Formats: sequence, C-alpha cells, structure tokens
Amino acid sequence: MSAEATDVPSVSLEIDDIQSGALRPRPSPYVGKFFVLRVDDRRDGRAMLRRLLPAVDGGLAGADPDHDAWASVAVTHQGLRALGVPRDSLDSFPLPFRQGMAARAELIGDVGESDPARWEPPFGTSDVHLVVSALSPDAARLEKALERVRTAYQETSGVEVIWQQDIRQLPTGRTTLGFRDGISHPGIEGSGVLGTNPQEAPLKAGEFILGYPDETGNLPPMPQPDVLGRNGTYLAVRKIHTKVAAWRQYLTKNTSSPEEEALLAAKMIGRWPSGAPLTLSPDHDDAELGNDPRRNNDFLYRENDDRGFRCPAGAHIRRVNPRDADIIGAARLHHIIRRGTTYGPPLPEGVLEDDGADRGLIGVFIGAHLDRQFEFIKSEWVNDGNFIGYSGEKDPVAGHHDGTGSVTIPQRPIRRRLQDMPSFVVTRGGEYCFLPGLRALRWLSELDT
Amino acid sequence: MAAMGGATQSAQPERPGRTDGVAGEFTVFCRIKPGHADELREVLDELMDAMGTGDRAALRQIGTLHDARHVIFDNDTQLLFASVFDGSWDTYIDDFATTVVGERFDRVFSHTEGFPGVKDPNVKEWFVAQQEPALVFVSSYPDLTVKQIWKDQRVNEAFQAVLDSSEFQAALENPANKELLASPAFQKLLDQAAG
Ligand code: HEM
Repeated sequence: MSAEATDVPSVSLEIDDIQSGALRPRPSPYVGKFFVLRVDDRRDGRAMLRRLLPAVDGGLAGADPDHDAWASVAVTHQGLRALGVPRDSLDSFPLPFRQGMAARAELIGDVGESDPARWEPPFGTSDVHLVVSALSPDAARLEKALERVRTAYQETSGVEVIWQQDIRQLPTGRTTLGFRDGISHPGIEGSGVLGTNPQEAPLKAGEFILGYPDETGNLPPMPQPDVLGRNGTYLAVRKIHTKVAAWRQYLTKNTSSPEEEALLAAKMIGRWPSGAPLTLSPDHDDAELGNDPRRNNDFLYRENDDRGFRCPAGAHIRRVNPRDADIIGAARLHHIIRRGTTYGPPLPEGVLEDDGADRGLIGVFIGAHLDRQFEFIKSEWVNDGNFIGYSGEKDPVAGHHDGTGSVTIPQRPIRRRLQDMPSFVVTRGGEYCFLPGLRALRWLSELDT
Repeated sequence: MAAMGGATQSAQPERPGRTDGVAGEFTVFCRIKPGHADELREVLDELMDAMGTGDRAALRQIGTLHDARHVIFDNDTQLLFASVFDGSWDTYIDDFATTVVGERFDRVFSHTEGFPGVKDPNVKEWFVAQQEPALVFVSSYPDLTVKQIWKDQRVNEAFQAVLDSSEFQAALENPANKELLASPAFQKLLDQAAG
C-alpha cells in the first residue's frame, strides 16, 4: 500500500465549508489561545456567532497570509441547547457527545487524580458552551485573529468568557516532557491533506468529516437536520497537566547513566526527543532523521520490528497507532487527527524538583466517531494492553497509572519489566465538542427559537 | 504445553453436542415451571452475587468447565443453559452431584419442568432430552483443558517472577551456565523471556 498508488475515485469534499480547525495541520512554530464561553441568552449567543462567522476560517491554507492565522468555534451539547437548538436535533447526536466527557470518565480512564470532581472549573460543569480557539505561526498574526474574535464576544452581553488558556510552541520545539510532537498525521482521501506515512493509504473522509463514507463503507451517524451535521466533526478537547519532575525522577531512579536514561524514555514514547522513531533508529537519537519530514514517519512495524525489540508494542506511539502490527482488531478504524499544543513554562533542563508550575498540553483529538476513535483508543489502547498481549498494562506516558501497574519492554535475553508505575499526566479538564461546518454555523446563528 | 489426550476420552457413551479439540459444548433448553420465573431469577442472582464476591470454589471443584451461562427467555417460559466442558459434560455428573455444584444444579433446575434431581439415576437422560446440539462450535484454544490453562497461568506467573529476580540475571551471566544457555530447549525459553 502506498499513498501514490491509491488511485481512489475521489470523493469531493466541500473543503471550504469545513472549519480549518479540523483538517488544517498546525503551523510550527505556533502560538494560540483557547477560550471557553458560556451563553446565558440564546439570542445573544446567536448574535455573537453571526459576528464571529467572518472570523472563522474554512478550508486549507490559502493565498492570503493574514489567514495563516485561523479561528475555530466548537459547540458542546450544552452549548447547542443554550443556543436554542430544538430538542429533536439535540437528541439526534450520538450518546458520548450528548453525555459529555465528564460522564464518560470511567470509560476513558479519568479516575483518581484525573477524576472530573477534581477538574479545573468550568470543566465538567454545564457552563462549557463554546470552545473558541485561534492558532497562528506568530504573535502578530495571532493578535489579528484574536481581535476579530474579541470584537464578536465583547459586543455581546449574554455571552461570557469563563476560561482561557494561552498556548505556544516552546523554543526547543519540544513538548514539556522533552519530546517533539505533531509528527504523525493520517492522510484523508479527497481532502488534499497528505498523510505523513507514505506506506499507509489515506483514510476515507468519513473517518473525520460527517456526510462522507467512512472506512466501514457507511456514512457516520448524522445529526439532524442535515445542514447542521454536514461537514462537521467532533473534538475531544483536554487539558493535560504533565508531571515533568516526576518523569525525570522516575527515569533517573530506574537507570544508571544518561544514555540508559535517554533510551528508557525513548522506549516509553517510541521516538527519541528529536522525533526519530525507534523502529528506524533503535540505539540512539538521530536528529537528522527526526527533522526530516520525508523520513521521520516512513515506517511500519510488522516486517522489521514485529516483536517490538526496537519500539516496544507498549510504547506510546505504537499503542495509539499500531500501524500494521499484530493486534486485536483493525487499526484503520481507530485513527484520530491530533492537535497537541503546549501550555505553561518549561521546567528548566536538569531540574528534578517540582516547582509547582502548571505545564502540559491542550490536546485536541478530532474524528467523526467519538466512540470508536478517541474513546476506543483511551479504553483499549492507552489504558489496557490486551490488544498487544499485555493484559492490564497501560501506556507508560499517557496511561492513568495508580502506582501498581507494570510495563513490559522486550529485550534479549530477558524483557525488562517496569513495576509500580506512577502517572506522569493528570487530566485537568475536558469536553466533547461538535465542530460544525461553516453553513451549519450560519444555520445555528440564524435559529429562530 | 502438549495436550493430554486423556481429556477427550470418556468412559461414558457418546453424547450429543459438538466438540472442538479437547472441549465440547453442552446447551439445554428447559421449560420453566409456570409462575417460577421470579424465584429462578432470585436463585441465579444469588449465584452471580457469590461469583462477584470471589467465590469460585465451585468452579475449582468442577475443573472442566470453561464457561457457562443461564438465560431466561421467551417471556419467562424457558431457561437456556449453555456451557463448554472439557471432555463430555456428563463424565463427572455423578461426582458433581455429591458436591456444592450438585446442590446448585438442583436449586436452578428444580424450577424447570420434569427435572428429576441431580442425584436421580435418570438425570443424564433428562438433560439429553432437553439438549439441542450446536451446529457450530469452535474454540480459540482447542488443545487446552481448563486444568492446563490454570497450570499454564501458574507457570507463567512463576516464570515472570524468576525473570524479575536479580539471581536469575546473575545466573545468565555466570559462565558455568553457558552450556545450559546455549541448549536449544533453553533458547526456546529465553525467546519467551525476551518479551
Ligand atoms: C497524555 C499525554 C501525552 C503525551 C505527552 C503525548 C506525546 C506524544 C508524542 C511525543 C508523540 C510522538 C509524535 C508524533 O508521532 O507525532 C505522540 C504521538 C501520538 N499520540 Fe500522544 N501524547 C499524549 C497523549 C495522547 C492521547 C491521550 C492520545 C489518544 C487518545 C494520543 C495519541 C497520539 C497519536 C495517535 C500519536 C501518533 C502516533 C503515530 O501515528 O505513530 N496521545 N504523542
């Protein structure tokens, strides 16, 4: 299977009606901002949407450099209700979205420290109505995009900003745990968005956008009326705190040299800090490989790394995208688009003590099927290991450990088994959102209920 | 672990029901006595609760049961008992009759029509009369009996504990063990130790 070889009868996507926040890869470097808004008055809410519409971008990159910054607006189920969407329509959305992320906590592993009862307000409450985000390659263009957004909500009395979060790429280009992110991205048939792995055929558009056939050959479940659902998708938005000091302490405690430390961390992630994948560079980091977009995602597992002696089956990237590895089920049905962005100050290099600062990522996981994509990945792939033959083991980085679990790292002569795993990440909040197409946004803004 | 051929042999006459490797399926449909469905439901709830609190002693006693289910259906008129046993379900029925398992069978099936009691000499014929053999029955581990699975689990747990011990690590590095390590049998074991 090669991306070029797939001579697919192209489905024509109404790409310009799809919000840029869905398909458009994020720039690097980037700066941005997330807002959560509460709508107290439906008419004011719609008026605000009408003012916001011109600031919301559709489609992929265009000629106008001003639009290298883009804003997106997503709506929660509570938000649809607050905007006055009729009951029939509200009920036509799939269950996970209707229930909201907090209600799904047990299933997706938000337990213990990550329990919604401990989330940062307003997450987990009925006040989260709209999630507006803006992303840009630099501060100046971000400011322009934000100005357009602010004008929309500041002029409206019945709408209030109740949470905001600045995000930006760290100067190192790495996330708070020290690894490069945003490398692997699926290809989407008919969209012009190329996958980063030339060995994998693009996925059907219906995996990511409502109104088009998905990998099963069916249309994704369609909320009603059609104009509301078409060209929309779902987002799982999460604020994930990273315990950087605990991560570094764990690595130090379980190794006896800087080389061993680097290798152990890489075995847990599946890539080296530069982004070079273990499957292509098993013994040491290779910055040239990590920085080369043509090579750094050009690999599968079965042929050269079946047993996981290079990249363990339990490593983060091999769990959340097993590619062609021998697993239970069909990996192609469980892909997501990710937009991971960093918040908070980095913990300076070499510091092992926690400084109390809040740092981590705002993760946005995008797909047309919350249940068989985001939720499946969390419950089957991140927080269990039966699919790879390690029943009960969890993702070493993204898993919600309680200090008791183990993680197996294949090696000769005998496998290494990490014991009593602590958690390195804590969910601070999150919500399921619907990201409507542009026509659907207009429909919402013109409701007359 | 090699399958022990004995598991498929039975001193009993051939019984209906499909087999796949060492295991066979046993499915019966019984008429519930009129008005007994709620009582039966209570009995089944109690059995289930006992499982929930970790009381698997009865299953240990049986030692040949892979899984079993009781389902009330058809407007509370019928009971389905579907199960998978090593060998044939009836080989040990006399033995079970004397244990807590027999008592449980009595409590469940006494709510169905015509059940003679698990200690009755005709109980097997009664079960066969209620049985509907499956048309398809397949197992993912046709070579393994329940006993072997338990054994394999114990061996693996012990093996993993050895791998975690520093003594084993040292033994691997000890030149005195070179010959053992190089032997094909041990290489096979090490292949399992690697991940
Ligand atoms: C909790 C903290 C997390 C951290 C620190 C983290 C970090 C990373 C890093 C460093 C990569 C490698 C870069 C790349 O391949 O693009 C990656 C890849 C990925 N992550 Fe995460 N991640 C986290 C959580 C999650 C969660 C919760 C999911 C899914 C529900 C997820 C899904 C993915 C996927 C799908 C990939 C791409 C894998 C591939 O295609 O090979 N991540 N992550």
